[in-house]
Amino acid sequence: MITGLGRWLLGGFFALFVLFLYGPTLTIVLLSFQGPEGGLTFPMRGASTAWFTRLFQQQAVGDLGTAFTRSLILAAMVMAATAVVSVAAAVAFRRRFRGAGALFTLTVASLIVPGVLVSLGVGLLFNLLGCDASWWNSAFGAQLTWTLPFGLLIMFAVFNRFDRAWEEAARDLGASPGQVFRHVVLPIIAPGVVGIALFGFSLSYDEFARTMLTAGSTNTLPLEIVGMTTNVTTPVLYALGSVTTAVSLLAIVAALLAMRALRPRVKPAP
Amino acid sequence: MAHAKTIGRRTALKAGLGLAGAAAGSGAITGFPTIWAQNIRNITLRQFGTGVSNLNALADKVKQDLGFTLAMTALDSDAVSQKAVTQPRSYDIADIEYWICKKIFPAGVLQPMDVKRIKNYDKIVPIFTTGRLTPESRIAQGTAPHTVGFVEGPASTKFAAQPTGWMTLIPTIYNADTLGIRPDLVGRPIRNWRDLVDPAFKGKASILNIPSIGIMDAAMVMESLGRIKYGDKGNMTRDEIEKTTAFLIEAKRAGQFRAFWKSFDESVNLMASGEVVIQSMWSPAVTAVRSRGIACTYQPLEEGYRAWGGGLGLSKNLSGIELDAAYDYINWYLSGWAGAYLNRQGYYSAVLETAKENMSADEWGFWMEGKPAQSDIKTPDGKVLEKAGAVRDGGAFAERMGQVACWNSVMTEDRFLVQKWNEFVVA
Amino acid sequence: MRAAPYLLAAPLGLVLGAFLLVPMAAILVVSVFDYDSVRLIPDVVLTNYADVLLSRVTWLTYLNTLKYTALVWVLTVGIGVPIALFLAFCVQSAALQAVLFLVCTVPFLTSNVIRMISWVPFLGREGLFNGALMGAGLIARPLDVLLFSDFAVVLAFVHLYALFMVVPVFNTMVRIDRRLIEAAVDAGAGPWAVLREVILPLSKPGIAIGSVFIITLVMGDFTTVRLMGGGQRASVGLMISNQIALLQYPAACANAVVLLALVLLMIAALLRVVDIRREL
Repeated sequence: MITGLGRWLLGGFFALFVLFLYGPTLTIVLLSFQGPEGGLTFPMRGASTAWFTRLFQQQAVGDLGTAFTRSLILAAMVMAATAVVSVAAAVAFRRRFRGAGALFTLTVASLIVPGVLVSLGVGLLFNLLGCDASWWNSAFGAQLTWTLPFGLLIMFAVFNRFDRAWEEAARDLGASPGQVFRHVVLPIIAPGVVGIALFGFSLSYDEFARTMLTAGSTNTLPLEIVGMTTNVTTPVLYALGSVTTAVSLLAIVAALLAMRALRPRVKPAP
Repeated sequence: MAHAKTIGRRTALKAGLGLAGAAAGSGAITGFPTIWAQNIRNITLRQFGTGVSNLNALADKVKQDLGFTLAMTALDSDAVSQKAVTQPRSYDIADIEYWICKKIFPAGVLQPMDVKRIKNYDKIVPIFTTGRLTPESRIAQGTAPHTVGFVEGPASTKFAAQPTGWMTLIPTIYNADTLGIRPDLVGRPIRNWRDLVDPAFKGKASILNIPSIGIMDAAMVMESLGRIKYGDKGNMTRDEIEKTTAFLIEAKRAGQFRAFWKSFDESVNLMASGEVVIQSMWSPAVTAVRSRGIACTYQPLEEGYRAWGGGLGLSKNLSGIELDAAYDYINWYLSGWAGAYLNRQGYYSAVLETAKENMSADEWGFWMEGKPAQSDIKTPDGKVLEKAGAVRDGGAFAERMGQVACWNSVMTEDRFLVQKWNEFVVA
Repeated sequence: MRAAPYLLAAPLGLVLGAFLLVPMAAILVVSVFDYDSVRLIPDVVLTNYADVLLSRVTWLTYLNTLKYTALVWVLTVGIGVPIALFLAFCVQSAALQAVLFLVCTVPFLTSNVIRMISWVPFLGREGLFNGALMGAGLIARPLDVLLFSDFAVVLAFVHLYALFMVVPVFNTMVRIDRRLIEAAVDAGAGPWAVLREVILPLSKPGIAIGSVFIITLVMGDFTTVRLMGGGQRASVGLMISNQIALLQYPAACANAVVLLALVLLMIAALLRVVDIRREL
């Protein structure tokens, strides 16, 4: 749609933005090659890959591997729940229903109530009910109070000025509400749903406050890393950052290649 | 009064958040006969605390020596206090600091320990029992560990003034903090706490970002400047708090501070990156800076040290074989290996005698007696920390722990303190 | 069919009911408790609210937090709109859009704790950025203001939250009917006019949703201000966390109630201008 100079300017701006986003990442990658005697800040004391080796050994404090696995599973759970619950609720909000206003206010409030207090409250609730708080029950719930508002509001943006004519056309052709959703609505909102799933994943993966008092006896990755910073920390943390970044970028490249490979080879007849 | 206090806290939580019932109710002893040696291997004790002492090496050694599993969870210091009070179901052993114990133990989530079951009780450094390192020592200001070290009985949450046989925490590690400096960047001898606010270090100084402790760093500076004489730096009056925060605001406006630190790691990074050249610091943090090839000194000062201590407390929910295992663990902790391990990191252990048996004469001389190292001093994983001939900053144990001016504390006026601290932050 | 919206909204209601309403009720109750240096005292007192509302410190702290919010909002809108424009109108394929979004998300898959630590070697006196500026001969001495300052706080916020603006704005922009733009161009509108008269008005709901995110995220922030401000910059979150750290729950709860009320009012005002629920 936009061509010529505007396109180049916007493209340049986007490139700068990406560079800005990767500023800390660049520092992390550089410093993860810190020499064996070096620390988490400049100056570099030589260069080595020692910290990548150390990443897969036992640390002085904490257990990165287990915490990482736990965080990935939790993030995947939160991701799935966020996508399903937000989409359902957003579809509900497209019609009037009693309590819609209150539910919306509660959703916005969920963004504001300090996470530590949510954590405290949910932790106490589980205590009161005699349930053992754990990352997969109480922390899962507490994190959903954080990811669902984002999911719902982004779905509002996705459904904004959504043309109802398509749905009506499908209904006129005799499609059931389920069919309308599956064959008409879902394909159109799919990119948005992928977006909120990603949001849910990274918000959960990074959440500290709401997990702090709800994870029970075990730590998720952010808790584990914060725990580690109460003792001598090493560029192992940066090595972890570098590996995560590299693996994510590789996954994107792999996905691109897969898409290219799977693209239908046969051109439609003219 | 004591009774009223406990009830007050309990009802508070019950009415507001409905917690205490669950915590207290499950404390009943259910002890069933067991064949010890077979069952103990299946036991897992869940311990949490900061990363300072929740070390994997300790858990590995416990597994090897005692046979059961010690599952350790490291958290930051704020999370530790929250979890101790509100999540009693999630831990068996709490590794907390003495000053915050003043708030945690009255919440009724921990059970006192019977000293009769603790083998090396008599050998615990007397700082934790009588408050005096030697019979002649003066008791330091602040929340000295012995003032919150005992309660009146097995079911009590009221702190006792004298040793009673019921201990709240078993001391594990403690230390005396002072200023850490970058001698290469400071460029002159540092002798007093007041040097922290020397305009020469403008924009390069730092203190702790925990209100109740940061204000004591400031108090050490104020007193060193001769601006004020505190009744008790660890329990200031409103007037003293006002004057101290006014002083902090003045220093902040003059641009004295670069950044405050909260975690061990922050203090190391600030110092190693040259952002800060003088700040209140822990001994092992100084060691960590030095191990990166950067000159850093743990500087003894004329006014003395600000000390802190941590210990292990038992969850109220522990009973039966788990409780027995916990006592075994505590006895193991005081039996020397753990003490030696912590001493080698620059902390101090509670029972010196047993730790000494687990250290070489050279190590003991360097870490505890202030003697020059005969050979290279190494970390547990074999990295050289100090070359032969080096002397530990601050000298011997008795010199350091004998010069404690003040312990980390909870002040009576801590509500007012936090308000004033927030005023300082916004100024 | 009547029940459909209720069934669809039920999961959201249940999750928030269980995991948010209960803590909120507890916060309300505890906010009127009394406390001293060692314990909570169950009571109904208004001292906590008096301490919050009548203290100059609170007002200054709120003012400072609002200042951060305003700055971050202006910057994220300024960055978010062009980025969303680029993604929605310059990138044609949906797959490429998704890939570019993924590329933007990758830095956030490194734990925030680690990223926060890395700002010191990035912006510090001996940091990468100062080094680059000095290497380029732009400055003679390292800039202190890059770290532990208001600048650093706002920079970190923009870094953390810019995508929260980009995503909703992008989603409303892709929904804009291209024929509208073509019609405007045919009618002789230049690019600026198209942007001002067609694209921006139709992107308002997205900008409003992004603004809700920015306002709530910045107003409620707990760690960014402390870490990037070196503990010497005030925010409501920092004030609350200082109280929580010393187990002064009643004060923290009263503060949280005030924060919640204020931010809800701000959001309500915003939604009066742009009703994001109208055109679903």
